[in-house]
Order: sequence, then C-alpha cells, then structure tokens
Amino acid sequence: MGQITLRGIRKSFSGVDVIHGIDLTIADGELAVFVGPSGCGKSTLLRMIAGLDRPTTGTIEIDGQDVTRTSAAERGLAMVFQSYALYPHMTVRQNLSFGLENTRMPKNDITARVDDAGRMLEIMDLMDRRPTQLSGGQRQRVAIGRAIVRNPTAFLLDEPLSNLDAELRGSMRAELAGLHDRLKTTMIYVTHDQIEAMTLADKIVVLRKGVIEQVDTPLGLYNRPQNLFVAGFIGAPNMNFFNAVAVDGQAELPGGLRVAVPGNGPVTIGIRPQMLHLADPDAPALTGTIRLIEALGAETVVHAAAADGTAMVVVLSGQPALRTGETIRLAFDPDALHVFGADGQRLD
Amino acid sequence: MSKVMGFLTARRGHGGRWHWTDVVTWVWLIGGTIIMFGPALWLISSSFKGPAQLAEFPPTLLPYVQELAVVDGYDDPLPLFTATLEDGTTQVLAEVRRVGTNAQMVDPANPETRIDVNIADRTPVRQIGLATDNYVAPLVANDFVRYLWNSVFVTMMATIITLLTNSMAAFALSKYDFRGRNAVMLLIVGTLMVPLSVILVPLYSVVNATGLLNSLWGVILPTVATPTGVFLLRQYMLTIPDELLEAARMDHASEWQIYWRIVLPLAAPALAVLAIFSVVWRWNDFLWPLIVLSRRELYTLQVGLNTYAGELNVQWHYILAMTVVTMIPVVLVFLFLQRFITTGIAGSGIK
Ligand SMILES: Nc1ncnc2c1ncn2[C@@H]1O[C@H](COP(=O)(O)OP(=O)(O)O)[C@@H](O)[C@H]1O
Ligand SMILES: [Mg+2]
Repeated sequence: MGQITLRGIRKSFSGVDVIHGIDLTIADGELAVFVGPSGCGKSTLLRMIAGLDRPTTGTIEIDGQDVTRTSAAERGLAMVFQSYALYPHMTVRQNLSFGLENTRMPKNDITARVDDAGRMLEIMDLMDRRPTQLSGGQRQRVAIGRAIVRNPTAFLLDEPLSNLDAELRGSMRAELAGLHDRLKTTMIYVTHDQIEAMTLADKIVVLRKGVIEQVDTPLGLYNRPQNLFVAGFIGAPNMNFFNAVAVDGQAELPGGLRVAVPGNGPVTIGIRPQMLHLADPDAPALTGTIRLIEALGAETVVHAAAADGTAMVVVLSGQPALRTGETIRLAFDPDALHVFGADGQRLD
Repeated sequence: MSKVMGFLTARRGHGGRWHWTDVVTWVWLIGGTIIMFGPALWLISSSFKGPAQLAEFPPTLLPYVQELAVVDGYDDPLPLFTATLEDGTTQVLAEVRRVGTNAQMVDPANPETRIDVNIADRTPVRQIGLATDNYVAPLVANDFVRYLWNSVFVTMMATIITLLTNSMAAFALSKYDFRGRNAVMLLIVGTLMVPLSVILVPLYSVVNATGLLNSLWGVILPTVATPTGVFLLRQYMLTIPDELLEAARMDHASEWQIYWRIVLPLAAPALAVLAIFSVVWRWNDFLWPLIVLSRRELYTLQVGLNTYAGELNVQWHYILAMTVVTMIPVVLVFLFLQRFITTGIAGSGIK
C-alpha cells in the first residue's frame, strides 16, 4: 500500500509563502510526476512528503494515516536526492546496508537484500568501491539501490537524472520505468523536464509558483491543457499562441482567417506546431513570412512571423520546398485549436 | 640517485652556469634551514654536554667528554689534561686536585711524583662523546618517568574529551537551526578574547570547591572546552552537505548515529588538526598544572622541568636534556598527522 494524500498544504520560509495550498491524492502504485519550472516548489513539496520539512499548515496522509507530525524515518518512504547524497566515507555495500542496520535487521537478511538490489541494478561488481570511484550513472544506480533495499511504501525522487548526460538520461529513464513496472510501488518523481514527465508518468502534476495548475495523464495534459501555462509548458516545440477577440462565436487570426471559438471578448488561440500543415493553394489559410528553416530530414521546423508579427513555429513532415523570406500558407483542423479566455483558463 | 644529483646541480644559467637566481635560491634555502633547524639541533647537541662544558665560553658546537685515566694509588679515575711544563715541553697528566690557580697533577705512568701546574697552562684532553647522564639521572632518579606518564595521561584524556565535546557542540551549531544559534556561536568565539590569567582565580576556586585540586582531572577538565576547536570544527562541518544528513534521516538513523557515523568520519581532517593543536597545547601547558598540582608525584613534565630552575642555581644540563624529551611526542604527532593539517586547515576555511 502506498496512497499519499495532501490536504491544504501551505509552506512559508521565514514569512515568504512558497507553497500556496496544495490538495492532491496519489493512488497506490502510481508513478506521479511533479513538473514545473525551477523554483516553483517541487522540491519543497517532496521534502514535506518525505518528512524532512514540516508544512506550515495542512496535513499529509499515507494510507489514511495522518503522518504530518511523524518523523522522516517512521514514514517508511525512501528518497533519491538530486545530488545522490551517497555517504562518501562508506563503500557501496555499506551505503546500501546503512538504512537496514539502523532498523536492527539481522546481518544475513541485510546481505540478502543488498545482494538482491545489487543484482537488480547490476552494481554487484561495484560493491567494494567508494562513491568517489564511481561514474555519474553508477552513483545514480547506487542511490536508487539505497532506496530499493528499504522496501519503502513509496519512492520519492528529486530530479534524479538531472546530473547525467543526455544519452545516459535516456537509458536511465527507461530503466526507472521498468523498475516501476516491476516493483509496482508508488513513486513520486520530480523534474523540470517535460519529456521525462511525459514518458514516465501515470499522472502529471503541473506546478507553478507553489500552486497546482493541472493534474492529468500525460496525454490528457497534451490534448486538453486547462490553462495557458500548461499549454505552453507541455509539448515541444512550444504551442503557438495568437491573441484575438471573439465576437458572436467567431474570432479572426492574424491574416484574416476566421475560426469558430467559444465565448466572447479577448481570447488566446493556441495551436501546436505539429498540427499545422501546408494549405491547398486556393483554400483559406493562416499566412506568415518564413524567418528560419531547420531541415531535420524526417521533419522540417519552420520559424515564421504571422501577419501581425506574432512568432510561430511549424513542424512539417518530410522536406517541403520552402525558402526563407517566402510566404507560407498554413491550414489546420479546427478541432486542434485550444482557446483560452482572458483569465488564461481554457474555454469550452 | 643520478636524478637527485641532476636536480641539485641544475642551474638556470645557460650551459650549467650560475644565474643570480640560483645563488639567491641556495642562500635562501640554506639560510632558512639553518634558522629553522639550528636552534633545535643546538638544543639537542647541548643536551649531551656536561655542566662544565655548558658554562664554557666560547661554546663548542659538539658535545665532548673529558678523558679519564685509572692511576695507581687513586680509587676514582682521574681527568686527563695536556699540560705545558716549565721547561716548555708538553705532557699528558692526570689531575689529582685543584688548589687555587694551581693544579696538583701526576704522570699516569709515574704516579709517585706530584707536579704543580698553573691551570692556565693546561687544556683538558677531550673527545667527542655524549653526557648521557643528563638523561639517565632525571629519568631514573628524579621521577621523570612518572612526570612523563602524567603528561601523557593529561594530554591523551584532554585531547579525547576535547575532540568529543567540541565536535558535538560544532555539530549542533552547524547542522541544527535553533533560536539563538548565532548568539551562542558569538559567545563561544568571544571567549577567545579572555586570557587564562583573567579567569585563573575564579577557576582555581571552582576546582578547589569541586575537590579536583591535586588531581590530574583538575588539570584536564577546565581545558577541554576550547572555542578554537568548536569554531574550527563548525566551519568544517558547514561544508558537509545537509542532504547527507537528510539521507541518513530517511535511512532511520537517529541523531546520535548521524553524528557518530556520518558527521564525525567526514570531519576527520578537521578533527586531526584539532587533535594536533590539543596535543601541543596540553603538552606544553605550564601555568595551570603548576597551580593545580602541588604534589610531586602528580607533576607533569613542564612542571617537573621547572624544578631544575632553582632560585640560586639552574641545572641547565638537566633542563636541556628533559626539554629534548618533552619535544619528542610533539614531533611524533606532527610526523604522523601532518598530512591532515593542510587539507583540514584549508577545508575549515581558516588560514
Ligand atoms: N530552506 C529554504 N529557505 C528559504 N527559502 C527556500 C528554502 N527552500 C526553498 N526555498 C524557496 O522556495 C522556492 C521553491 O524552491 P524549490 O522547492 O527548491 O523549487 P524547485 O525544486 O521547484 O526548483 C524557491 O523560491 C526557494 O528559494
Ligand atoms: Mg528542486
């Protein structure tokens, strides 16, 4: 079991509010990802769940038990730190055993557990080394191993891959996903990288400035972002936004193309770069002037400026014959539009 | 070996000629060596000289002992001199006794005839040798082994307790956030400015009231809380990442285990530095032990050494020899722990 519930969590550091009231439930066995820009309070939230910090107000429950006042050790959680926080003066084996020794587990059981974790993470031949003698990826494995041996109710991982190079990050991401499938333990994973969030998560929690912007599955977030922030944050390249005014369910995009929108008054219309394609010659189209072409082979990324100067990015498949300075004519499926009201919330 | 020679004969001038920087380097290095080692070597050499030789002027560089000869008719061996006789010849004679400026001497080969020689006309026959009695007498007869043991006990105990208590204080002051933490730190550092002589009298009353007078613990306990140690260790512990302690907390470690198994091992370089300081301080302490200890069998080395400096005469030969003995442990501590000093001092942010 490992259901974690947060109710009305607020946190302030010496008078400065950092977390502004978070309500959230993470189901047993779920891999939840906290994503958001740097400084939005992801680590703070995770540390409060871990028991390393106390919320200013609000309660934390694990499996229905209020653990707000319980110490970190007694919550039965394990944490992987961004810096790994391996004990530098201990060998890998001692690093893995330390937590078990503290619970007065018999020596044989400790050895068995540590060996199991070592085999699972393929670090058996590193057991007698010290952390300083390991590469970044190996340290990462040891840090994960230290969490696994404890058999925790949930894993908490704070940007575990951010210190690795891009290639290693990719393979470790896959391994973590595999690990979660095998262990079926609740995991809370913190990252500022939306690709990690999209590929790993059962559920993504998008945070900004200490508030939850949206909680949904990865595809739910991608397909129906609830507000401008989430729409702009999820998906690469970023979504294109156009400011418009809706009158009688119609709004005009730069260049004169009219589209149906819900609501009235000023709106922001968003469309993903991948949803745009070249328009037929005489069909109505969204037009722009090409500023830069990045031909990647399988796809071509076009940076253009719309009629009113708004920058937009288009991802076209294949290698269309385009030149910088030309006018590009674009069409799209009206269902692919995302419309947001003046308050930044999704309309429809 | 050829590498060493190559290094020593290397010159900055072209073709192995002397450049002026070579000259400056050699003068600087040799001069520095003499200034650093000279006094210590002089002390060691002098500690093997007898009292008479120590009083001599000009002093000799190396220790000499006068040659003795067994002469028929005399129970004790007699000292030998080279004497210039009235007829201008020189002869090796043994001195029987001195009367005023004259010495009564005999020829060891012909002990019946006494020869009177003015003491200005003779020089002692000497060869390089060690007056080991300087060492043997205090160590065997004068309880110096006892003093040595007392000093070792005081130094060891005080250092262990200093390391323990100071590291605990430093741990709390560096890793726990509590109200008044900075005030406490300031207070501790502030006591650095209070010299021993200011608190001597109240400290004496406290030690007296607690019955620690004339006990080695009375020497040890008042010295163990050192502001320098707390400060040095705290600065070092600030560099230990908090995440390590948090990881340990997640690993079910109690605060004591965090201190004992995480913080202490990681602070080892700073602890080594403090250990060296503490050993040197306690070993060299004089004033406080002198005040607390009045029974001879409790004297530490430094206090014991003082007994050779009487009001009327100072037994320099014993003082010099025992000073060498007191130097040895300090030198040993430096030899074994010196590699920690640079890392520890650099790491604690104290230059
Ligand atoms: N111990 C602390 N004291 C004061 N402010 C803090 C502390 N920890 C975090 N903060 C502040 O809280 C905000 C959120 O920090 P953090 O949770 O680390 O962000 P994230 O992990 O999302 O990058 C930041 O503005 C940071 O400055
Ligand atoms: Mg963070």
